[in-house]
Amino acid sequence: MDQPLLSVRNLTVKFGEFKAIDGLSFDLYPGKTLAVVGESGSGKSVTALSIMRLVELGTRAKVAEGEVLLRRDDGSTIDLLKQSERAMRSIRGNDISMVFQEPLTSLNPVYTTGDQVIETIRQHRKTTRRDAAKRALEMFEKVRIPRPDKVMQDYPHQLSGGMRQRVMIAMALSCDPRLLIADEPTTALDVTIQAQMLGLMKSLQQETGAAVMLITHDMGVVAEVADDMVVMRNSKFVESGSVYDIFEKPGAAYTRALLASVPRLGSMKGKTEPERFDLVDREGM
Amino acid sequence: MLAIATKIGESLLLILAVLVFNFVLVYIAPGSVIDALSAGSLGDASEAQIEAVRERLGLDKSFFGQLFMYLGNVLQGDFGYSPIGNRPVVEMIAPRIFPTLLLAFSALTFAVTIGIAIGTAAARRPDSFLSSGLTVFALIGFAMPVFWTGILLILVFGVWLDWLPVAGMNDLRMSSRAGFFERAVDTAEHLILPTVSLGVIFLATYARLARASMMEVLQSDYIRTARAKGLHESKVLFKHGLRNGIIPIITVLGLEFGILLSGAILVETVFAWPGLGRLAFEAVLNRDTNVLLAILTMVSVTVILANLLTDIVYRLVDPRIRTGGRA
Ligand SMILES: Nc1ncnc2c1ncn2[C@@H]1O[C@H](COP(=O)(O)OP(=O)(O)OP(=O)(O)O)[C@@H](O)[C@H]1O
Ligand SMILES: [Mg+2]
Repeated sequence: MDQPLLSVRNLTVKFGEFKAIDGLSFDLYPGKTLAVVGESGSGKSVTALSIMRLVELGTRAKVAEGEVLLRRDDGSTIDLLKQSERAMRSIRGNDISMVFQEPLTSLNPVYTTGDQVIETIRQHRKTTRRDAAKRALEMFEKVRIPRPDKVMQDYPHQLSGGMRQRVMIAMALSCDPRLLIADEPTTALDVTIQAQMLGLMKSLQQETGAAVMLITHDMGVVAEVADDMVVMRNSKFVESGSVYDIFEKPGAAYTRALLASVPRLGSMKGKTEPERFDLVDREGM
Repeated sequence: MLAIATKIGESLLLILAVLVFNFVLVYIAPGSVIDALSAGSLGDASEAQIEAVRERLGLDKSFFGQLFMYLGNVLQGDFGYSPIGNRPVVEMIAPRIFPTLLLAFSALTFAVTIGIAIGTAAARRPDSFLSSGLTVFALIGFAMPVFWTGILLILVFGVWLDWLPVAGMNDLRMSSRAGFFERAVDTAEHLILPTVSLGVIFLATYARLARASMMEVLQSDYIRTARAKGLHESKVLFKHGLRNGIIPIITVLGLEFGILLSGAILVETVFAWPGLGRLAFEAVLNRDTNVLLAILTMVSVTVILANLLTDIVYRLVDPRIRTGGRA
């Protein structure tokens, strides 16, 4: 197998005394999709923000321990946790970019969508505004926004949630990142849009060769798009491996419970409400 | 566009209402210009002479007669005659408008820019001394009587340090042939202390407002997005943060403009600033109702216009209002 693009080693992040992530390790390979799964509050978003080194900005969070190793084009690796803020700025939005959980509020309400994408491009590429605008339009077409030239002039509140998330994806991919972190990019969208969005991300990934870290708690999504997966629970690593292996033979009781929580078609036949699933703790894990 | 036209219409109606209200206010206030005149220049006049003056000023008419005469005149730009100044009111007021507006805008700019800078710095570090001290500073700034701050500033910077002029708008010794530039610099120097004493009342208010507003803005998702794009923190703060955080500040700005003008009256009196405020003060002492009414009208109209302007700027800054969208 290839060398990993990103290796997280023994990452620990604290909010005061509370450990939001406790000794997490995993690898992410170029061109592959890694799903990070776990229940709400298990530390998935904090993991993503720690990789971007955004978790400490404006919060009480502290990265207490660990390494986040990024392989560069020349084959050398750097530890993102040791980079200066200046070096991180040239990585964010450029080598690693991120799409957030909240499509409705992640764009700035007072600037047009076009301006916000152009700003990203000009932050990392020495281009004129005109060329950046051309590139932005290209990106809007790529994420299949209808009437992209008009949408570029629109303010976020004039667009639907699905459109806004497309703008976010266009923005994230505008500088050809090697890693795209997508934090539950579809949770806030309705189901039909979710499928479209995942299809879109998959095809863009094939086109650009970027690695994707897909955060989700939807096992259906994992089965659909991911190559590998990491399972987290209560800030801790549970298990990792290829999606195929884990779905086939989940190693941990918690993973089994997560997999069992995916309703199967026809499983409610003859019942008026879904069965309550067992809390894993009662199995004594 | 329609919304702005409606606003302008509303503002005009409001101005009319204010004209009537001001007139009533001055009408029911005790004392009249006749009393002031009889104590002075008309001291030796006979009953008949006083009656003639009363008639010339229209004071013999009924309340409604006086009101309609007044409104009719004002709408034609005629604010009447001042028996005290012995000139048409317009002539007395016109040269006073610019100094007052200059002082008001200068103080406002001072309070808003410094206030926003302090407030933003405090918002970035909510646990800092600056941040927690801001409430106390705000209270002090608001509680300090403006004339007291003024006199304190005069003592320190005018008398002890002798750095800045403390009275008037221009140096009296300045030659009448002085060039525009020289005059402007001199006026700027004279402007500093009045600006500071008027501005400090609002400084802490705006700082606190900016802090609250920026603290909320800095928590929002689009700030995180801006950082995730790799933008420098100053761009995150000022381009993405402030443009949103300033919206509530603009609202208050319009509302506080009236308080600002009333503060200007006190400051002008302390610093002998040749503006409307000092004229109003003298007019009150002399029961010079026409001058007083004209100034009240000017001030009211300015406040109404300031609110109108606020509303328009607000629309320009916030596209959600401009394009009539959802939140
Ligand atoms: N700014 C913060 N201040 C304090 N605690 C926080 C902060 N952000 C996250 N946490 C805590 O860290 C833990 C992990 O949060 P995180 O957002 O990573 O969960 P998640 O796995 O992304 O959940 P979800 O699926 O709901 O998005 C939670 O217990 C949360 O309360
Ligand atoms: Mg999350």
